[in-house]
Amino acid sequence: MPTRRFPQPFIDRYSQFIPDFDAFLDAMQRPLRRTFRVNTLKATRDQVLDLMADLKPEPLAWYELGFSLARDMTESGSGDSDRVPSTSLGKRIEHFIGLIYVQEAASMVPPLVLQPQPGERVLDIAAAPGSKTTQMSAMMQHTGLIISNDPAPMRVRGLIGNIDRAGCLNVAVCRMDGASLARMVTGTCDRVLVDAPCSSEGTIRKSPQALDRWSVAAIERLTSIQKRLIVAGYLALKPGGVMVYSTCTVAPEENESVVAHLLDRQPEAEIRPAELPGLVTRPGLREWEGAEYPEAVGSCRRILPQDNDTEPFFLALIRRPS
Amino acid sequence: MFDRFEVTEEQETVFAGTPEVMEFDAVRPMRRGMRLARIYPHSVKPTTFGMQVLGRHATRNAIELDDEQAKRLINGGSLIIDVDAENGFVLLRWRGFAVGVGFYKRPVLKSQIPRFRPVE
Repeated sequence: MPTRRFPQPFIDRYSQFIPDFDAFLDAMQRPLRRTFRVNTLKATRDQVLDLMADLKPEPLAWYELGFSLARDMTESGSGDSDRVPSTSLGKRIEHFIGLIYVQEAASMVPPLVLQPQPGERVLDIAAAPGSKTTQMSAMMQHTGLIISNDPAPMRVRGLIGNIDRAGCLNVAVCRMDGASLARMVTGTCDRVLVDAPCSSEGTIRKSPQALDRWSVAAIERLTSIQKRLIVAGYLALKPGGVMVYSTCTVAPEENESVVAHLLDRQPEAEIRPAELPGLVTRPGLREWEGAEYPEAVGSCRRILPQDNDTEPFFLALIRRPS
Repeated sequence: MFDRFEVTEEQETVFAGTPEVMEFDAVRPMRRGMRLARIYPHSVKPTTFGMQVLGRHATRNAIELDDEQAKRLINGGSLIIDVDAENGFVLLRWRGFAVGVGFYKRPVLKSQIPRFRPVE
């Protein structure tokens, strides 16, 4: 089992609760498949498939507009030598003119679970670089309003560039503290996406250097931000509104603990199962390091890399009662 | 298509967005909708990404490019090409999709597309 790249505390923590832990570590060391999403604001699925037939894109099991590229096995042939095709998706004409958006497969899931509808008001509280904002914009078919926010100036530049490239006309971009913005729109949003800033353990497959920055202290630093965002995001919902809280990390402190914090502050909040046909998920944890979480937290969903060949992800689908 | 959208002008730039985007006033956003065009003293020039949205409706002064021609112009180059188009700003199309704006002075077609990540 190739474990040498993972710090011992990482292994000690996650072997406690991640099922099929050897398969998890093995998957975390494999490079990610290159994946993209068809941008229906500019082209149809069939048009894009016709243009990109040379790469033989394969549809994702849970999303008709998401595709992956087959791995290009190299001749040197060791077990870990599979690599993505040499053609960079980001250097294709289809990408330049916004017909496709290069996006990790698991990152396509939160908007699919949130299901924004045409004409609605949606808050994307931590939006850069814009993959989910542009995906939701397409789902809303050029209607309604997405308030797309990120507090970091450089990241907002990238967000705006991606919104322009995708041709989104239903997005207002803000650069504010996310919780402060949410308070300015309290009780007015049909949907809220809190794709929270996180320790990004999930990005290890894409960028092994992420492991160098990994520490329990870094995880603990982020939880206070995440707790502020989930409560403020929830209060931005109209009665009957729906929110998704998501991260691309494994740490329970950034996931189940944050949802449990919301339930402590807003006990009426409803946690719904976040399911997508074709996507394998695992239930949220009920306890971690001596802390027991409410039963509803078990309805949260974990996406593990060995199940769907994606980054790991966490999702909570939350409804504010009418 | 643009019946359902509104445009606004700010700092010599035209933005297009849905009515909900334009009316949103709970905070002052950095940006409403997408940047459609720049206003100059004697002309209005669509942005590259604005042209990609507007250009699908263009019926004249459009030049269809093959793969290599499109890559060269996206990467900031120029072409020697003899086509049925008036001299001046033209729409560049690739496989039917609007790519951006070029400037044609027969037989030279120059890219007006700002440098982004190179296309290969």
